[in-house]
Amino acid sequence: MTIDELKAYDGRNGAKAYVAYKNNIYDVTESPLWKEGEHEGVHFAGEDLTAQLAGAPHGDEVFKGFAIVDKLETPSSLSQTETQTEADLKSKLRSWYKRYHPHPMTVHFPIALHLFAAAMDLLFLFNPQEAYALSVFYTFFAATLMGLVAMVPGILSWWINYDFSSYRPFIIKLVLSLLVLLLGIINIALYLNDQMIVYHDSFAGLTYHAIVLFTGFSVIVLGYYGGKITWGNGSKPVNSGEKHQANAAAQALHSMAKESAQIPVNDQHVFSLLIGGPAGSGIDTIEKILTHALKASGYYVYSTKEYMSRVRGGSNTTLIRISDRPINAPVWEVDLSIALDESALEHMRERYTEKTLVLADVSENGTLPNLITVPIRERAKALGDRRYANTYMAGFIFGVLELELDTLLASIDHYFKEDNENIKAAQEGFKEGAAVEHYTLQELPGSDPKSVEALHLMDGTTACGFGFLAGGCTMVTSYPMSPSTGVLNFMAERSKEFTIVVEQSEDEIASLNMVLGGWYAGARAMTTTSGGGFALMTEALSLSGMTETPAVIYLAQRPGPATGLPTRSEQGDLNMAIYSAHGPFERIILAPGTLEVSIECGYLAFELADRYQVPVILLSDQYLADSMSMIDTVDFSQYEPGSYIIQSKKEYQRYTDVPDGISPRSVPGLGEGLVCAAGDEHDEAGQITESHQTRIEMVHKRARKREALLQSALMPNIEGNGDIAVIGWGSSYGAISEALARVDDPRLCHVHFEWVHPLAEKQLDLLKKYKHTVVVENNASGMFADQLKLHDIKVDKKILQYNGFAFFADQLAQMIKEKIKEL
Amino acid sequence: MQTSFDRENVDVAWCPGCGNFGILKLVKEVLEELHQEKRQTVIVSGIGQAAKTPYYIDTHMYGVLHGRALPVATAIKAANPGLTVIAEGGDGDMYGEGGNHFLHTLRRNPDIVHIVHNNMVYGLTKGQASPTSQRGFVSKVQVEGAKNEPFNPLSVALSLKAGFVSRVNIGNYSHAKEVLKAAFLHKGYALVDIFQPCVVFNQVNTYQWFKENTYLLEEGCDSSNFEEALKKAYESMPMPLGILYQRREELPTFEMHVRGEDHRPLHEVRHDHKKIQELFEKY
Repeated sequence: MTIDELKAYDGRNGAKAYVAYKNNIYDVTESPLWKEGEHEGVHFAGEDLTAQLAGAPHGDEVFKGFAIVDKLETPSSLSQTETQTEADLKSKLRSWYKRYHPHPMTVHFPIALHLFAAAMDLLFLFNPQEAYALSVFYTFFAATLMGLVAMVPGILSWWINYDFSSYRPFIIKLVLSLLVLLLGIINIALYLNDQMIVYHDSFAGLTYHAIVLFTGFSVIVLGYYGGKITWGNGSKPVNSGEKHQANAAAQALHSMAKESAQIPVNDQHVFSLLIGGPAGSGIDTIEKILTHALKASGYYVYSTKEYMSRVRGGSNTTLIRISDRPINAPVWEVDLSIALDESALEHMRERYTEKTLVLADVSENGTLPNLITVPIRERAKALGDRRYANTYMAGFIFGVLELELDTLLASIDHYFKEDNENIKAAQEGFKEGAAVEHYTLQELPGSDPKSVEALHLMDGTTACGFGFLAGGCTMVTSYPMSPSTGVLNFMAERSKEFTIVVEQSEDEIASLNMVLGGWYAGARAMTTTSGGGFALMTEALSLSGMTETPAVIYLAQRPGPATGLPTRSEQGDLNMAIYSAHGPFERIILAPGTLEVSIECGYLAFELADRYQVPVILLSDQYLADSMSMIDTVDFSQYEPGSYIIQSKKEYQRYTDVPDGISPRSVPGLGEGLVCAAGDEHDEAGQITESHQTRIEMVHKRARKREALLQSALMPNIEGNGDIAVIGWGSSYGAISEALARVDDPRLCHVHFEWVHPLAEKQLDLLKKYKHTVVVENNASGMFADQLKLHDIKVDKKILQYNGFAFFADQLAQMIKEKIKEL
Repeated sequence: MQTSFDRENVDVAWCPGCGNFGILKLVKEVLEELHQEKRQTVIVSGIGQAAKTPYYIDTHMYGVLHGRALPVATAIKAANPGLTVIAEGGDGDMYGEGGNHFLHTLRRNPDIVHIVHNNMVYGLTKGQASPTSQRGFVSKVQVEGAKNEPFNPLSVALSLKAGFVSRVNIGNYSHAKEVLKAAFLHKGYALVDIFQPCVVFNQVNTYQWFKENTYLLEEGCDSSNFEEALKKAYESMPMPLGILYQRREELPTFEMHVRGEDHRPLHEVRHDHKKIQELFEKY
């Protein structure tokens, strides 16, 4: 539609609210931020917001959640050129305006002068002295003059910043200020004609005084509407910035309250690159350099890897995807692939399409039409050392993709400080890559250096680590086990800077027992493990339950049973996390799916454990732990750990039977009381008891904590408005999200759980409104689907994958399409 | 003797005549005589008859799982180095179920006192052989008598260079008291293995048997001689009683390794969110 047609969609009186941005027209009707077609009182539906966005406190990422309904047509190429020139001029003026802001600078003068004139006139009316009459006139004269001075930049701003918006405050201001100007001129003329009119109650005299008083009142109204334009309607949610120590967890939970969003639009331009080679050949180095350099080139970067359980040899791959928008999922089929040897080529072959360009260090071309032989190892040796293969290949890729060599060299310098040989290898690779002729290569997406620069590139391991730091972790006791070890390393590396006791325990049994000892004595302790190690911890998990000693367990899953596939991914330990350990007791299980939520859950794990005195398990997996994507800056001041430990009195009893079941917890040495905790059934004082009444009371006391902790349950994240819910949990978030964008079916919506146990009524009620449910899980039996069924939620279909890979968005899209046909 | 560590209104679960009564009295009196502050003392115990001891002593206590007292005690000491921490339990608890933890606690050298009630039998499960049972000890399970080599806690502790290795017999109360006091005063891990009879399930290793099959190390003998100590640890019938080995020079403890000079209880430690922010911005 054209800009004129767009105007009809202003969101008022039941009309749809459309806005244009960069030639796309977005439907913002459903957004709570665009009620009645108004956004913050300054932007309006039915308009092209491209130019206005520069002045907004956010970037264009805000459009991502909205559906594109049409393209904005420009009438002719001529007028397009004109618009372009106008836009250029406007943008120049805008930056000038931003620097000097002439309207706010000048607007004080007429306001102050008019008010002063009116005040003087009032004085004069009470006490008609000549001095008052004179000051009224001179001030009024100056006020009128300055009014004109302020109006010019005001109108300029209306044009360049607000596109002559017809928003009511602008119109009121314009009409009123023109009126004030006109009346001002009339008054000046009246006075100059006969100065004595001020003393007479003639028509002229009364008009003169009336105008002075009226303009005095008018500038107050002008000021009010000026403020309204700048600050909006005041309906914006206010961030108070206050911190409530005891309610920190509740507050963080509040911040996670989910708003219904849209399924992302499937017009994202993504380029996927797959690198394969034997373990120990340096794919990790290429990944590090390339992701760094691609981010520096202005792309949103995502990477993930799959590797064999060996230190040397085999075939491992790293997938790197770049886009002009945030991206958070792997795909099976790729645009460009680099095989460092023959077996890597074989390993990756099934992921190639007829368009995939393959660069391979193989002796023959084989059967692939788009394969270009690059003697990588030979060239590296010629450059002085086979280790230069990594930088040579990074250069080669940059050459093929026609990216800026300098950006890559800066990244290489970042990792290999002042290493001329590696720089030379990259330059050589770039030259050779740029010379390669290729016809099938997919075009690269647009880059957005400004938006990307402010983002951070990290993997799920690091994000969880930041969450645990934010949660105030002061002790980590672990036995190393893939894929959880990254978090142990992260915490150990920061242990001296942050006062964290880190000990590698003799086994996982000791790990969790140490964690309990730590919490008992006042630490915020955690352990990191995978399924097999967690199995050994179950006895101590039960001790945590009985002694009501908090615990935090980072459980990064991998496929089992037993050793299973040690370096691969699965969501197969949910049942174990929910049911393991003897005797009934409460526990909380969180499963993040994005970097942001990983940080939030890491923090929450400590808060919830401390607050409810229960073990909290953070479920991650190899996929989430090893995948890198981009994250906006996180404000860590919002993650203040709460204080839940009390100073004990002399008569302190560890297990006082309180209504919510959460007995005040003290630690040894803090106060007058003694802290007696027992793994045997105990009375309120912590003494062993076999009294059947006490047993019943204590069972009830511990069980009552469920009701309390369920209040903290996080609502699932919902994208889309369809009545077929595609339900996922944990690490599959990105894949489901992209898959649904690819399927692009308005009947679907994405419901994603991060709080997976215990399920709360409020979470379940939300699911009951859907006509159909399809549960997507990375395990063979549908463990979360079983949990839903246990809570009387109908599960129509399950999409299960248990081949060692996390879901690939393109494959998952196909699976979803097939599955919903069966509904 | 009345002590400030007596806990009132407790129902002691031991059999009359049990050696545990002597050890309970011993621990309370040693704490009292060393002017130990009960609000700065924590006893951690596992499961077993011996592991019930802390329920009868008026201090902080954490009754944990079978065999798991040592890792819990080690972590408590690291979380709050100002506390006096005791890990207490029986031979099955500490040398059997918790055997791996025993080995690695020796390596860590936390400044804790490790008290093991050694009666060479399982009491709580009613009479099976324990890791320290002598060969030939007959029970309902070991019907032909125990066949396995008895676990030797002293030689194991010495082989991992424990700084304080001792054994006493509760039948010789004053000697036991002297040794336990020395263990408390030792900086670093201290093992006190206490012979004690089980009057119900062990008719072999009685008060009389322990008296006949042990001897006191001579006063003034050099307890800092490692090789001598190792030799003595292997002696049997009679077995030596006393401080077999006490290292002269102090070695760094576990909590010194993980805490350095910072002795604050960890509940006082708060991470500066500005530092976390700075670190985050580097990514």
